[in-house]
Amino acid sequence: MNFTKIIRVAGREFASTAMTKGFIIGALVVPAVMAALIPLIAILSASAQPPADKGTIYVLDRSSEVFEDLSERLSPEMVRERWETRAMKASEFAKGMMGNAGGDQVESAMSFIKTPEFRIIPTAQDVDLEELKEEIRDQMASGAEPEDPMRKVLAVVEIDIDAAKIVNDSEGYGSYQAFFRPKLNEETVGEIESGIRWSIRERRYENAGLDRSQIAQLASIEERKSKEITEEGERNESSELATYLIPVASLILLIIATMTGGQYLLTTTIEEKSNRVVEVLLSATSPMELMTGKIVGQMGVGLSLLAVYNSVGIAALIAFNRLDMISGQTILLFFVFFLLAYFMLASMMAAIGSAVNDMREAQSLMTPVMMMMMIPYFFFMPVVRAPNSMLSTVSSFVPPISPFIMIMRVSSTDPPPTWQIAAVILVNIVGVVVFLWFAAKVFRVGLLMYGKPPNLRTLIKWIRMA
Amino acid sequence: MMNGVRKTFGQKVAVEGIDLSIPQGSLYGFIGPNGAGKTTTIRMIMSILFPDSGQLSVLGKKSAVESKDRIGYLPEERGVYKKMKVANFLVYMARLKGLDSAGLKPKVMDWLERVELAEVAKKKCEELSKGMQQKVQFIASVLHEPDLIILDEPFSGLDPVNMRLLRELINDQHTAGRTVIFSTHVMQQAEQICDHIVMIHEGKKVLDDTLGDIRNRFDPRAIHVDTVGGADQSAPITAVPGVANVRIHEGIHVVTLDEAMDKQQAMQGILGAVPVSKIEIKRPTLEDVFIEIVTGGTASGDHEQVRAKLLAGSKETEEVVS
Repeated sequence: MNFTKIIRVAGREFASTAMTKGFIIGALVVPAVMAALIPLIAILSASAQPPADKGTIYVLDRSSEVFEDLSERLSPEMVRERWETRAMKASEFAKGMMGNAGGDQVESAMSFIKTPEFRIIPTAQDVDLEELKEEIRDQMASGAEPEDPMRKVLAVVEIDIDAAKIVNDSEGYGSYQAFFRPKLNEETVGEIESGIRWSIRERRYENAGLDRSQIAQLASIEERKSKEITEEGERNESSELATYLIPVASLILLIIATMTGGQYLLTTTIEEKSNRVVEVLLSATSPMELMTGKIVGQMGVGLSLLAVYNSVGIAALIAFNRLDMISGQTILLFFVFFLLAYFMLASMMAAIGSAVNDMREAQSLMTPVMMMMMIPYFFFMPVVRAPNSMLSTVSSFVPPISPFIMIMRVSSTDPPPTWQIAAVILVNIVGVVVFLWFAAKVFRVGLLMYGKPPNLRTLIKWIRMA
Repeated sequence: MMNGVRKTFGQKVAVEGIDLSIPQGSLYGFIGPNGAGKTTTIRMIMSILFPDSGQLSVLGKKSAVESKDRIGYLPEERGVYKKMKVANFLVYMARLKGLDSAGLKPKVMDWLERVELAEVAKKKCEELSKGMQQKVQFIASVLHEPDLIILDEPFSGLDPVNMRLLRELINDQHTAGRTVIFSTHVMQQAEQICDHIVMIHEGKKVLDDTLGDIRNRFDPRAIHVDTVGGADQSAPITAVPGVANVRIHEGIHVVTLDEAMDKQQAMQGILGAVPVSKIEIKRPTLEDVFIEIVTGGTASGDHEQVRAKLLAGSKETEEVVS
């Protein structure tokens, strides 16, 4: 083995893959643009909100006491006030989470949501509800907007006689029934419903001689972050989201990085073979040097991808002030598992690439490999839920899926003991050696074979032959 | 250099017991029809394939693996990186052969100029015609000034002008003292350049000699005669002393002479006997020699069969594995 040659092959392999516009755009620029676009999309989707609903609400208040509160609660001034406070709170929350820029974005997004405007009209007690509903139907059927937008009927509400006061002991409190015009904004419906409920409650409290603010006080308990007691001291209890987020992100990142390198390796190998450049190369290098160089070169591609995405991820964690979710050891192990997973996948890709004549022929041999790469996805839920269960432990010892399972376990909130990590790494090193050995055999024979694409049996024959 | 080398692919024996020794500084031609085992032999010399049995030594080393940097190789299955620029491709190949990057660029440009391709240096390889690509590949095989140059079918796909250019370049390498081996299935090409011919047929070496010796050894002792008006003059020619037999092939009288007969004398006898428009001593072509060897010099009908087979074979693509 001549290391200078390996490095030169690797250098060309890396440059011809990573230094291309396609790769830089596809692997680096697209995610960056996406990250920038997400808030923009949020704003756009907010600004694409339908116009605010304006119109009339008929209220048949059989209890004769809820209407007053309701009409105040849903008065244009009160509605606007509530909406503005809500927007401000959201923006403050976003500022706390993402810094000022994020807060501003949320604020501007909120400002796009139009405040609805209502005209509340009480009806006579003996009104025919069907007639009011008919008015909505007529307006819908005519299709045209009424001249005065406020004349558009949005809803008809019927409040029970015993909604706020118990009339008959055995039946308890009554309720209300609302009929809405179809296709109203969700926010509008919510606003009306919560307005009615708030007003009915208000009346009930008063009738019962209770003070609303006192009840609110009684019901509220201040929230404090729960802590987990660990060997080192205490730490914030990991939220449900965090438990899943880091392992799944790690898994996906690992799969992306290994698959990218592996796919490119397959493509360049097939390309060299179908270009017939391979024998020219073999006059300068041995097949082993060529394969090693190519695998190392694509490893560089995977690593650079990983480095970029990892730094983005870490930057995000810093921005959210959640750097505690991931440890230096996890990041280190991440790279270790990447190398192990990559070498096994790359061996398979190199073997397949050398054995076939074109991409189409590679597909049939790729199917088992792709299916194998799917396994970690299926294992995601059970492994993350119980990182130290029998299933998790056993599957993390089976190469070549082992690194993928192990990275989920390691980055989970309940990481496996160190001896297991060490043992898994050892098992995988053995796996890598075995995979490379088989790949080298197939590679040597396959490179100069043209013609009928091989099946698994021929591949085994080649391994014996080499 | 090669000793009892044998290589099989499954059931098929590609090369069977070839012994070969190529002295330094010589210009050797491997000839034989497609599928004869030329490429397999060359690949074994290059240590791209390994013999099942027998020994090999290249440039004093046990195998070419240790001396790859001193060998220049233009394989039959040759290609370039399509997306790579011509000059970059050559630099990469030279660096793979262990050359320092210092002074490499001017050297590449120098070579490109020699093959009249200086203007494509910055173009991508895929933009080149097949002939141009072939010249680029030839440069890649000699750029690192190797001691041994192996060219597998270097002339295939070239036009006559480029063929001559390549012939000159090969001769330059030969004159510079380098050992050159090249293979071809077109025997005239070997006749034009080589000083030593190795003929391979069905995996066996059937001939290994200098061109001159081959010509002497396979002298058909024949004279070609065109008669005036193309009339059949077999009878009077047969009557000339020393003539063993006369047959007419494609309108030409092929006159075979007796073993001891002097050719000059026989020609004069024929000239005296019949009106002649053209008369010449037949020189053996490699093709004739090949056919002679394959058929063992038997009946002429076999000759034609073999010739047809030979020509048909040259149209097929060589398949290494069945």
